[in-house]
Amino acid sequence: MKKIRLYYEEHNKGPMKLLWQHFAPQHFAFFGLIALLVLVSLALITPVLTPHDPYLQNSQLLLLAPSWQESGLVSYPLGTDDLGRDLMSRLMLGTSYTFGLAILAVLGSLLIGLILGCLSGMSKGVKSSIFNHLLDLALTIPSLLLAIVIVAVLGPGLINTIWAIMLALLPQFVHGIRNAIMQQLKLDYVTAYRLDGANNRQLLFSVILPNIWEQLVLMGTMALSTAVLDIAALGFLGIGAQSPTPEWGSMIADSLDAIYLAPWTVALPGLLIFTTVLAINLVGDGLRVAMKKRREN
Amino acid sequence: MQLLDIRNLTLELETPDGLVRAVDRVSLTLKEGEIRGLVGESGSGKSLIAKAIMGVLHQRWKISADRFNWCGQDLLRLPYQQQRQIISRDIAMIYQEPSRSMDPTATVGEQLAESIPDHLLEGSWWQRGYYRKKRALALLHKVGIRDHTVLSSYPYQLSEGLCQKIMIAMAIAKSPKLLIADEPTTALESTTQAQLFRLLASFNQLKGTSILLISHELETVARNTDTLSVLYCGQLVEAGDTATLLKHPLHPYTHALIQSVPEFQPELGFKQQLYALHGSIPTLQHLPIGCRLGPRCPNARKECVKTPVIERQQNHFYSCHFPMTGKSSHE
Amino acid sequence: MMLHYLLRRLFLLAFVFVALTIFAFSLNYLFPGDVLSNFTGLRYISPEQETALRRILGLDQSYLQQYIYFVRRILDGQWALSFSSQQNVLTEILLVMPATLELASYALLLSMLLGIPLGILAAVRKDKWLDKLISALALVGYSLPVFWWALLLIMLFSLTLGLLPTSGRLSLLYEIDHVTGFMLVDILLSDVSYQQAALKDAIRHLLLPAVVLATYPTTVMIRFTRDSMVEVLEQNYIKTARAKGLTRLQVLFTHGLRNALLPVTRQIGLQFSALITLAMITEVIFSWPGIGRWLIDSIYQRNFPAIQGGVLAVSCLVIVVNMLTEILHTLFNPLARRF
Repeated sequence: MKKIRLYYEEHNKGPMKLLWQHFAPQHFAFFGLIALLVLVSLALITPVLTPHDPYLQNSQLLLLAPSWQESGLVSYPLGTDDLGRDLMSRLMLGTSYTFGLAILAVLGSLLIGLILGCLSGMSKGVKSSIFNHLLDLALTIPSLLLAIVIVAVLGPGLINTIWAIMLALLPQFVHGIRNAIMQQLKLDYVTAYRLDGANNRQLLFSVILPNIWEQLVLMGTMALSTAVLDIAALGFLGIGAQSPTPEWGSMIADSLDAIYLAPWTVALPGLLIFTTVLAINLVGDGLRVAMKKRREN
Repeated sequence: MQLLDIRNLTLELETPDGLVRAVDRVSLTLKEGEIRGLVGESGSGKSLIAKAIMGVLHQRWKISADRFNWCGQDLLRLPYQQQRQIISRDIAMIYQEPSRSMDPTATVGEQLAESIPDHLLEGSWWQRGYYRKKRALALLHKVGIRDHTVLSSYPYQLSEGLCQKIMIAMAIAKSPKLLIADEPTTALESTTQAQLFRLLASFNQLKGTSILLISHELETVARNTDTLSVLYCGQLVEAGDTATLLKHPLHPYTHALIQSVPEFQPELGFKQQLYALHGSIPTLQHLPIGCRLGPRCPNARKECVKTPVIERQQNHFYSCHFPMTGKSSHE
Repeated sequence: MMLHYLLRRLFLLAFVFVALTIFAFSLNYLFPGDVLSNFTGLRYISPEQETALRRILGLDQSYLQQYIYFVRRILDGQWALSFSSQQNVLTEILLVMPATLELASYALLLSMLLGIPLGILAAVRKDKWLDKLISALALVGYSLPVFWWALLLIMLFSLTLGLLPTSGRLSLLYEIDHVTGFMLVDILLSDVSYQQAALKDAIRHLLLPAVVLATYPTTVMIRFTRDSMVEVLEQNYIKTARAKGLTRLQVLFTHGLRNALLPVTRQIGLQFSALITLAMITEVIFSWPGIGRWLIDSIYQRNFPAIQGGVLAVSCLVIVVNMLTEILHTLFNPLARRF
């Protein structure tokens, strides 16, 4: 119901409402957001929802076709893989592994990156310069390489890949946060606060952090898409998740031998990875455009 | 001959809060060889009018006018290509921040040579480059720059005053009939300001270039112009000869403007309070209906909620229901 | 002025190399297994060899001394031996590196040729249907997992249509001598009777991996060029140039491009690191004999000296490329020369 305006009043919307006002009309970004919410809820409550046990092997129904083909069964909606495990349940559980762990990795990296970035952004002089150059070095090492080294040191496995991804995402976060803080420090209102007598800690928490959190969210979405792709890639190469963990990338690698007989076992997990990353990127792009439009108005 | 004849120009913008009229029925005329000043506070829409004349307004703006004639031709009815042709041939503009109006990755010489139109160069096409450079040097001399190393420097290496002179050189390269100067001296020191105005006056006298000088400082405009138009908040408030306007202002706003400039008050006593209109410019979302000076005007009365029409008194135009001297429009 | 800048850059480069070698050195201790075999790469060390090696490596001395010996060995070319082949890791790397470089450079070239014009087109026709189409395609390409995309293309082109080969660099029918390591150059240098056929075959083998590898950089290039161009087109000097009377095309090419492409050149250097990551995965899928596949095989085999050498080599490559693009960027950018 439309708001009835009885008398003239100033309606100034807060920045969050304005952001939503510019974000919502973008149809694709909005659908991306809905898709992301569905995926997040899947990742959280899947263990309860799966129709079959994702690890249960059924030797009678190997490589069953998806239910829309003639040889398929409705009770196994997307077919089974080469060990007879229900593909749909495995895909749903895979959400928790590929997507859920990616979120955890990004959050962990964000937290550590925040601490390091704040330390380096607020400091000046030789100490900061050395730190920056080390950071540049860390940025140049390709993320997969770093992951390989860490996996070689720690051994393969899902937990170690999470550490590897966190460390690989860390330089980008620290670099981005440091740049954002330094940009804010140059602005006049920070000088005004300093003249008022704020020390560094107060400046950081009350002034700078509230103003850069939106950029942080944007960085987070970009890092999330990288994290999902990296976890899947490492799983595919066999140095990440090990079977029988139903991580999407390792599912593709496992089903590679049967690619002629059962192409859906390769196509479907990849499709899910693609949709997840697409949804993340749509939301990220939508946020960026919304922020730009909000600034222009 | 009337160069520019604009009648009832209206510029509107579509915003989330509705249609906003930034410029409300402004009329402007310019004769050959005339220097006209356009005075108004920031937010009065003077830059918008200049951009509308040049045709570089953003597509979001809706332009409508009863008449928008350049040398007798109505620009609004012409197709886009022809419009641009006429404008680029005859009108030039210089801007407020000259260093930002120049390409940072091209040398000054390149940009200057670029603005020289082909038809002003003699010689066949392989000699064009050489003649272009010669003309660029000649233009630099005309604006008073003797140092030839300027041609090979980048804009960020030069001072603002020098940049502005180069902008003027680029503007006069095509010998335009009208030069629009949008607050050309706001970013400069007073000595450079004086130099620039002398330059503009010399072009006006020697080449007959008309100049539209836009500024918010009444002192500079008053000293250097023949005629004056005063704008407030997108509405034309008063227009006429500079001398007459300053001696007998008819609109309360012009009167307040003149009173607030200390140079025009010779009897101002020591440590006396300066005059200023109370209140401030309304924002675009809260424009008053009728005469937009209404809320601040010392003469305001009930009739001011209706926009006053432009009245004329011997080449002196004003739009006010209750002008300062002379008869009111209601008698 | 330029000299001063170059000297500063070289100093930074040296600093970065030092940090890199410290990292590689520490890997010897971090990797599981015997420190001695990690350092040398020898599988079976007899007791006499052990004492001699301990002396050479300086394992009884301080870490700093060991590090200095390590750096000296690296600069001499005396890298560790690979666990599996017992060959010097450096020679193996030099054998496989050109294959990766060839693939990566063709992919990069393809992405620049395709990405930059499309990005400019999208920026000029902003918010019209062409822009929306290009941006949508770029977004889709940006979100594709590279290994899935490679598998799809293989399924389509090689298995279903049978047009292109699925693996390797050259069909086994052709014998080409290894001169530079770059296949197309080697074919042109060798004077065998089947040169034309070999060239065509090599290109057919190169096509699919290059297209797969080029997908991600192309999309990044499109997005970045479009953003950069849109920002430049909103600047004051573009409006001034238009007001001067130049046509849209003239303004675009003389003023717009130069300013918009400057950040893009810097981005190309930054993209190289991501390109190497993707190249490694692509090489595994297409069995392309490059350093990516070599490294991944080493990790399957737990070949620690090889991993260490590979990490050192690839990082050096990325750092050098980054530095080169940065120097190029400063050369072309008058604004950066202020410093």
